[in-house]
Amino acid sequence: MRSLRSTSRRRATVGAIAALALIVGACGGDDDTTDSTDTDGSVAIDGGGDQPDDTTADTVEVVQGGGTLAAVKARGELVCGANDTLPGFGSVNEAGEFEGFDIDFCKVVAAAVLGDANAVRYVPLTAQTRFTALQSGEVDVLIRNTTWTATRDGQESMTFLHTTFFDGQGLMVPADTGYTTLEDLDEANICVTPGTTTELNLSAVFQSRGLAYNPVVIETDAELRQLYEAGQCEVWTTDISGLTAWKFTIEDEGGAEQFILPEVISKEPLGPGVRDGDSEWAQVVDWAVLATIQAWEYGIDSTNVDGYTTDDVGIQNFLGQNAGDFDPGLGLDPDFAVNIISQVGNYEEIFKRNVEPLGLVMEGSPNNLWTNGGLLYAPPYR
Amino acid sequence: MTSIESELRPVPRVPLWRNERVLKIVAQIVAVAVVVALLRWLIGNLTTNLNRVGISTDFGVLRQSTNFTIRDDPGFAPNSPVFPNMLWVGVKNTAIASVVGIAIAVGLGVLIGVGRLSSNWLVRKLCTVYVEIIRNIPPLAIIIFFGYAVFTYGPFPIFNPRNPPWQVKLPGSDNNFLILSNDRWAFPSFMKDGNVGIFWILVLVAVAAAIVAWKWRTKVNVDTGAPHHRVVWAFGVLVVLAVIAFLATGVPYRWSWPAVSASGRTIVGGFGTNAGYLSITGALGLYHASHIAEITRGSILAVPRGQSEASLALALGGFQRYRFVILPQAAKIGFPPIISQFLSLTKNTSLATVVAYPEVTSLVTSAIGNGKPAVQMLVALMAIYLLFSFAWSVLLNSVGRKFKEVSR
Repeated sequence: MRSLRSTSRRRATVGAIAALALIVGACGGDDDTTDSTDTDGSVAIDGGGDQPDDTTADTVEVVQGGGTLAAVKARGELVCGANDTLPGFGSVNEAGEFEGFDIDFCKVVAAAVLGDANAVRYVPLTAQTRFTALQSGEVDVLIRNTTWTATRDGQESMTFLHTTFFDGQGLMVPADTGYTTLEDLDEANICVTPGTTTELNLSAVFQSRGLAYNPVVIETDAELRQLYEAGQCEVWTTDISGLTAWKFTIEDEGGAEQFILPEVISKEPLGPGVRDGDSEWAQVVDWAVLATIQAWEYGIDSTNVDGYTTDDVGIQNFLGQNAGDFDPGLGLDPDFAVNIISQVGNYEEIFKRNVEPLGLVMEGSPNNLWTNGGLLYAPPYR
Repeated sequence: MTSIESELRPVPRVPLWRNERVLKIVAQIVAVAVVVALLRWLIGNLTTNLNRVGISTDFGVLRQSTNFTIRDDPGFAPNSPVFPNMLWVGVKNTAIASVVGIAIAVGLGVLIGVGRLSSNWLVRKLCTVYVEIIRNIPPLAIIIFFGYAVFTYGPFPIFNPRNPPWQVKLPGSDNNFLILSNDRWAFPSFMKDGNVGIFWILVLVAVAAAIVAWKWRTKVNVDTGAPHHRVVWAFGVLVVLAVIAFLATGVPYRWSWPAVSASGRTIVGGFGTNAGYLSITGALGLYHASHIAEITRGSILAVPRGQSEASLALALGGFQRYRFVILPQAAKIGFPPIISQFLSLTKNTSLATVVAYPEVTSLVTSAIGNGKPAVQMLVALMAIYLLFSFAWSVLLNSVGRKFKEVSR
């Protein structure tokens, strides 16, 4: 026993000495270098010491003054935060490709910046992870049916850009229940995704009406659908666009007939967003989106954009035909609008391709050109 | 002779830099300084980076209101603050899920572990199959299976959402003993009704009296050799005094019977559980039971074979052999790994977010999604899990010390 203990103690001592020796050695080393360089001149050392500071200062500036545009161009690929479970807006098809309304706007940005609508890497995000992913720089742009709110604009360090889809929150029930008003839903189990404006609206609206409800909180729409169809919750609430998409999917796949209550309980403007503090990048994304609306207003679509000729100087500018003469200074190629329209299409085409098959109509909705009584209005491109 | 002389010779003073004690202290101070400096640097970096992108690092935001409601917690108002109200609901739900899950895991795990050593071929093989199947499935998959397969498309009529809840009445009364529906089970429970504080103080007195009774019977046994019956005595004293206290304080708890609400949608009164809770506790209980079974089997096998043979030679029966010889020694061996199973089950309850059970992680992530700052919320979450682990360690280590005394 004694010998064992003494060896262990010796080992501890050796360890302590070794640790000390390392520290002393390190200090000694420092002293040596300062000593030796004193004669050479301490400039070299100071420069060496300052160098890391300089680089950090540089990165700080890059982040504050922008840099996302340059980074995306250098990478040759746009990283787009997207939804992968919402049919019609962002989902993965049988071929494993992302498709949908929001996905097309990722392509619009890629076509504008890189000239190639397919140079996009999609990062599927849940409602809860999306802001962190954007803040941390994991994605360049977030286009994931995200509602523009003051808190998200402020606290979440996100800059919201032009709304692509004017939506509102609704509630869906199986049609055979016969529920038609919110009052029919007192004490009901309501399925909702966490970390959404939907969750907060629901709480506020039911409280203001003096109704009780029990939230069943499930992270992804696909899982939520399972619980909803199994009757674990009687009501499904989210944006009307999402409900329409799921109503279509459930009925299409042989599920029970669904009914969306006529009452719309909130405003949900959905649009792309970028990190705060990079206005150069924000302008680029904004004008890429606006170009789809402007093209629609001009009557330019993917079928007629090639070789489009006009006497209208405004349209010529928009299509980059007067490149030497006109440059708005957005940091985009002169023909960015042509790339967008030829590779993805104008707003109307994107809408009709993705959203109309679900049963959402453009006529009479806010998602229409201002000239048709809608809210889509692009500032002049001049 | 020479050795004694050398020991008596005065020891020369060791210089400070070769003094073992000094060196050890210096090394530890240096180590602490390095760790502190490293932490300071990391936290400084974090704060700078967060400030740069304009994210607040102030913990005052935890006082903001939560703004959402919580499943099966009608008492939780959306305007109550994140800290402490929302976190408290989360902690409560995590605790309920983990304690019941651990009870299932330990009960089932020990049975199966002993079963794997059974001399009965069928029992042995069944237990082996259980362990080999369950142990090799990720817990998340089991939870999803329970949440989405058993409770949604199970073959039982009670899980059909179109059927009214199945109410089991207490014979000869109108009170529900049990309510089963597709999304919730409810049992009778106690409801606070009167002076609870005084009642619990009296219960503590009863516990003290029971300890005194235990010591007295032990002393009688040691002094006179008469049978001690200390379990019966202590328990009897406790129960009698507790019942007297219960009646004396005017029946502070009453039965709360579950009933289906007027709308037929919810259950009022009683202890209600939802499918999410049943899925998480059931799944984690079964999963960790497979691990505890292996720990039990390993610990029993680690008890020297001679112990078992010796107890056979003393003509102890199978139960007595386990109760008095094998299990006390096996418990000592198996205790540390079982503690880590408890901790891991508690942490695994964070997977409950997939079955919509509002435990603390799912509430925290929900709050983050709704605009509460991620860093502060996650720090709070980590602190909560740390406290859970700490509580388990303190509790179980004190029990573990007891085991050591028993097996000597």
